[in-house]
Amino acid sequence: MTNCAIELQGINKSFALLREKHMSLKSAVLSLRRRKPEQVPGLCDINLSIAKGETVAVVGKNGSGKSTLLRIIARVYRPTSGTVVTNGRMSTMLALAAGFHPELTGRENIYFNGAIMGLSSADIADKIDSIIEFSELDEFVDTPVKTYSDGMLMRLGFSIAVETDPDILLIDEVLAVGDAGFQDKCYNRIEAFQRQGRTILFVTHDLEAAAKVASRSIWINSGKVAADGITAQVIQQYLNSLRQRGSEEKEKI
Amino acid sequence: MVNELRELLRYRYLLAQLVVRDIKVRYKNSFLGFLWSLANPLLQVATMTVVIKYVMRLDIPNYSAYLLVGYLPWMFFQMALLDSSQVVLAHRDLLRKVYFPREVLPASVVVANLIHYVLALVVFFAYLLFYRFFMHGAPLQWTVLWLPVLMAMQTALIIGLAFYISCLNVFYEDVKYLLTVLLNVFFYLTPVMYPAELVAEKLNSPLLYKLYLLLPMNALVDAYRKTLLPPITGLTIRDTPIHSQPLDFGTMALAMGICVLVAITGYAFFNARKWVFAERV
Repeated sequence: MTNCAIELQGINKSFALLREKHMSLKSAVLSLRRRKPEQVPGLCDINLSIAKGETVAVVGKNGSGKSTLLRIIARVYRPTSGTVVTNGRMSTMLALAAGFHPELTGRENIYFNGAIMGLSSADIADKIDSIIEFSELDEFVDTPVKTYSDGMLMRLGFSIAVETDPDILLIDEVLAVGDAGFQDKCYNRIEAFQRQGRTILFVTHDLEAAAKVASRSIWINSGKVAADGITAQVIQQYLNSLRQRGSEEKEKI
Repeated sequence: MVNELRELLRYRYLLAQLVVRDIKVRYKNSFLGFLWSLANPLLQVATMTVVIKYVMRLDIPNYSAYLLVGYLPWMFFQMALLDSSQVVLAHRDLLRKVYFPREVLPASVVVANLIHYVLALVVFFAYLLFYRFFMHGAPLQWTVLWLPVLMAMQTALIIGLAFYISCLNVFYEDVKYLLTVLLNVFFYLTPVMYPAELVAEKLNSPLLYKLYLLLPMNALVDAYRKTLLPPITGLTIRDTPIHSQPLDFGTMALAMGICVLVAITGYAFFNARKWVFAERV
């Protein structure tokens, strides 16, 4: 389907449970009988299709597999089984300062980040002014990134992610560190993105933000899609489960 | 593998950025920085020359040139492999958060070290020319033209080994310690401090000597020496007369085959495992 931006079919992902003993040559030689490390499930049979122009929020508890899902779409992890198809240029913001080198300046890091996205220096040179302008870093753009605050890192990262004109934007709960003013600016930019018919997938714990921006939400619980649909309904289901768990905990105490 | 190479080509800007960053950090944007990186091999060679000439009392004319011509490619080999053992772990944040073809990491350290090697060779040739015009040394030989071929062979060998080492070190963290030990042993096995002919005389068996030259670094160091410098004549080391042998092109062709084989199998080995790195580092 060509109007599909992201399509996941039968995605399973399990991780090797790493213990100290798997990490040295000696242990590898000693355990020649090759007991494979234990596997822990991360994601279980995920089927998703996100149309071009959709904005989707992913919610769920810590450790439920939201970030794993995003990393699989971003091709950082390979799924154990299943297929991922994405259409269009993808820009990812999976962590603060993910692609930054602390010793280099903000400006040098913009070029480095562009290269990570497969862009040439000439491509970045065209865009660098709008990136710096949007980030509001002003004169700090020529100081090393190691001196930046979390808010500054987030501003630089978000500016690079959006100003490089991606078709698909993946964001992993990093917007929360910006101040209210910049957050508004981000959400305005995201709205402009939506009007241009681009696709956004973001993981968030801020349910208000999810309700404000995303028409569709996905609730991931223990590596499975627990609910997928209109944001208000999904959030309601998610909150109900949290409340239920909360009252169970109270009873235990 | 063709698709992987095409993707790597698409990410050539990232490779260039990583190389530039590596060189910037090493040379700290100054010419003095470059001099510092040369100081180590030059001091090493000066020390070895003094030891051989005045302590062991072996009188080899212009020994330092013969030593340097073997020591510089050895440094390229050693530094590139040591750097490659660290390169994946050093970029763990990047690896866990962003997609990019993982092979740019070992490729970038090999390219950066190749650039250092080229700069060191420039200094080596300056030294040869100085020797030629002020100390009546031998003129350059036309066999210098083999230099690009030898460098291409060595780069292929190093990149293949770098793929193996950078990948294995993700799974077994003691690979880098093992590598340090092996490099020390192989430094003495490789004809850097002595001519390869000494091994031929001691082994006294053309077959064993052929096998010795099948270790690609042995063949390469020998070939660098024979193409860049005139043959040593009438040399006797501890009562063993050294009969200089010409470069054997059959052996070189075989060594070239081995270098290419190491590069291809190394890339395949790396590609089969590279997408697990993000989960293991």
